[in-house]
Amino acid sequence: MSGGAPTATGPGPGGPAPSVRQPAMQWATGPAVPVISVIVALLLGAVFVAATGNDPIAAYAALARGAFGTPYDITETLVSAIPLVLTGLSVAVAFRTGLFNIGAEGQLLVGALAAGAVGARFAELPGPLLMPLVILAGILAGAGYGAIAGVLKAARGVNEVITTIMLNYIVVFVMHWLLQSGPMTAPSALGTPASARIGDGAILPVILPNELVPLSRLHAGILLAALAVAVFWFLLWRTSLGYELRAVGLGARAAAQAGIDPARRMALVMAIAGAFAGLAGMIQVSGVFQRVFDGFSSGYGFDAIAVALLGKNSPLGIVAAALLFGAFAHGGAIMQSNAGISSHLVSIIQALVLFVIAAEAIVRGIAGRSRRGRKPVEAIA
Amino acid sequence: MTALLEMQGIRKRFGELVALDGVDLSVEERDVHALLGENGAGKSTLMNVLYGLYAPDGGRILLRGEDARIGGPRDAIARGIGMIHQHFMLIPPLTVTENVVLGDERTGALLDRRVIRERVRELQSRFGIEVDPDARVEDLPLGLQQRVEILKVLYRGSDLLVFDEPTAVLTPQEVDELFAIVRTLREQGKTVILITHKLREVFAVTDRITVLRLGRNAGSLVTSATTAGEIARLMVGRELRELRPRATAGSRDVVLEVTGLGALSDRGTPALLDVGLTVHAGEVLGIAGIGGNGQSELAECIMGLRRPTAGDMRIGGADVSRDGPRRTRAGGVCYVPEDRRREGLVLAFTVADNLILGKQAGPPYATFGVLDPQVIEREGALLAREFDVRPPNPLAIAGNLSGGNQQKVVLGRELSSSPRLIVVSQPSRGLDIAATEYVHDRLLEQRARGAAILLISSELDEIRALSDRIAVMYEGRIVATLPAAEATEERLGLLMAGHESAGAA
Repeated sequence: MSGGAPTATGPGPGGPAPSVRQPAMQWATGPAVPVISVIVALLLGAVFVAATGNDPIAAYAALARGAFGTPYDITETLVSAIPLVLTGLSVAVAFRTGLFNIGAEGQLLVGALAAGAVGARFAELPGPLLMPLVILAGILAGAGYGAIAGVLKAARGVNEVITTIMLNYIVVFVMHWLLQSGPMTAPSALGTPASARIGDGAILPVILPNELVPLSRLHAGILLAALAVAVFWFLLWRTSLGYELRAVGLGARAAAQAGIDPARRMALVMAIAGAFAGLAGMIQVSGVFQRVFDGFSSGYGFDAIAVALLGKNSPLGIVAAALLFGAFAHGGAIMQSNAGISSHLVSIIQALVLFVIAAEAIVRGIAGRSRRGRKPVEAIA
Repeated sequence: MTALLEMQGIRKRFGELVALDGVDLSVEERDVHALLGENGAGKSTLMNVLYGLYAPDGGRILLRGEDARIGGPRDAIARGIGMIHQHFMLIPPLTVTENVVLGDERTGALLDRRVIRERVRELQSRFGIEVDPDARVEDLPLGLQQRVEILKVLYRGSDLLVFDEPTAVLTPQEVDELFAIVRTLREQGKTVILITHKLREVFAVTDRITVLRLGRNAGSLVTSATTAGEIARLMVGRELRELRPRATAGSRDVVLEVTGLGALSDRGTPALLDVGLTVHAGEVLGIAGIGGNGQSELAECIMGLRRPTAGDMRIGGADVSRDGPRRTRAGGVCYVPEDRRREGLVLAFTVADNLILGKQAGPPYATFGVLDPQVIEREGALLAREFDVRPPNPLAIAGNLSGGNQQKVVLGRELSSSPRLIVVSQPSRGLDIAATEYVHDRLLEQRARGAAILLISSELDEIRALSDRIAVMYEGRIVATLPAAEATEERLGLLMAGHESAGAA
């Protein structure tokens, strides 16, 4: 690393204070690191492919063709990316406030359940009435579920990582009961417990005409996702609240002494995070499946952590990372059926991406520490 | 006569920053040599080169006339160089003796406690370093912990001892005792390099002086043949002005009144006991004391950051005992916290963003909760210029500024709202002379405007230079409050060390 003198503070040797090493800042220093991480992960993944006796180049070619080979594939990649964008925003907004939201998955499911319930219960309502209702249901349910962890954190200091993980489990089992033998149970041809189909008014329309891209499922949820990205940016960088959230995330003590109560902001941001994830669940119901069923989410809320990390918690970064992961998801399936290479390769690559990002942070952390360790920090209070 | 140590043309750069630009240092044997300079002058960098922590980019080091390549602290120790760091490298639960032998190469795997104790005792009597060899380090005050560090270095056979700002954490009495030890070291044939920026210490104990400024030699002096003024001029590169005599405070309205205040520390132990004080408009009340005697908790209570367990606080007559920081600030109170990097600033934010911290929710910076980036940047640029932040770029990241400029950002934010009460904690900690001067000027300006100032500092010079009255804190209590004229350094020092009777004198 270039630049600043290698001590932390105080009467450091030789001049100006060193550059700050805040995690959030590392990730905000440009797209070079994530791009390199992905390349390294792909190279390491190639080793795995070769080890299984396959041709890595053929595998990646099949993956890329699967994701972007035809207009239809591109739209499917987009469909896969939409929930990742929203859950990515969910993780990122919490992270910007210094919290780790591992609960996007549960918040997504709660949002989906609420949207599915409202969409089916009021199926007769016309679209202009029902659609806002369903959107609201998804957002509010997710927000409420996120707020549980937030309030526990604010009031009792309970670690949000633990609570959100546990809340994920709770919703999975509650969902199972609701769909199997509870009030949302409906006869289903899926072979798994599922809810009733939502009303036509609650369905997000496909936005590409069939003549343009036959069979495309690309739905209006993409517009909602784009709107959410804009809201995320505006909230964090153009509102007082967003300023406060970022201040809490980057310097909770400084924020507190300036009159910003970190606990309250943390409670609030978990609700906001839940709202983004809840909207993701609603979009999956209204745009893709038209009902809720067991095993509804393929782990979007967990992939979201990788998306947020890779996207450096920035709006455009999250979009790019979600597109990449969407391409993996759809392209992986095609690669498996066309080239005979297990789609688990995709999981391996995703894991490697995370690993490389984490390793990079570790390396920087160690470098920072050993430099700091050389000279003690600040006069004793 | 050859010097014990010759450093010639030492160069060191960190990226773009040239920390040392061909620095020479010559230290005679059996001398106490002061290495002087402002923060950032390169003193510590030079010593870290000597100790092998940094590899120099140029220049050479001669020890007793022989070329010495010092590849690391191990080399340095083997060549008889010892470093007493500003922050002690001790293991608190271990005893003094254990700490002294810890890490010594010759100890081997087995410790012969009897032999070691004997050696340590011998060193103690030879150098007049009194400290119980069986005491646990964590039970010792900082002054005694420092002696353990000195013993450690002597135990390894060092002939050249480097003290890095050794007095920063000591009471005046402890400083005197330290200097007595330093003189004994010299008598016993050791050579000492003292890194400092306090002129008083230079005259108290050193023989020769090397002054650095901005990574270059600014001068070499013999202590007995120079003056404080000359040294200061070399350090700063210009004349220093005297603090002008101040108009006596027309002790008018009481702004802050604290009675019977009690509070707990973070660990749940009593931190404040029955604290009472008043600060008037246009007055500076200095709170002297060694760090950790309740000063931080006092500031936090007043700012609403810590809940008092007893007593009450009034600002302008209104009870603020239960107010949080936001309401306290809304009542015209501002705060310059002691830890500016963590409490005063959000380091990752820009200067402009830091300047609106706490004011982010209302006009002129926000309307209906929506920020106006243009106003924020414009006002930031104005304030940065007004408070002489360098560079005056509102979009610079606060963490990249020097300590002095960071403090200017804090001052700019806090003082620009014309507060009626200013709580300042350690305002010049870690700052160089010029920045300290600047901070003091600004505070006196506020006093002249009629603000009440509560100044918490462990720097006696600062307290005495700025205060109208001085209260001394010891173990959570205010043990005495004196008019500035009666607060001699000696008396304050005794009070700070817990001799309450000194207050009655």
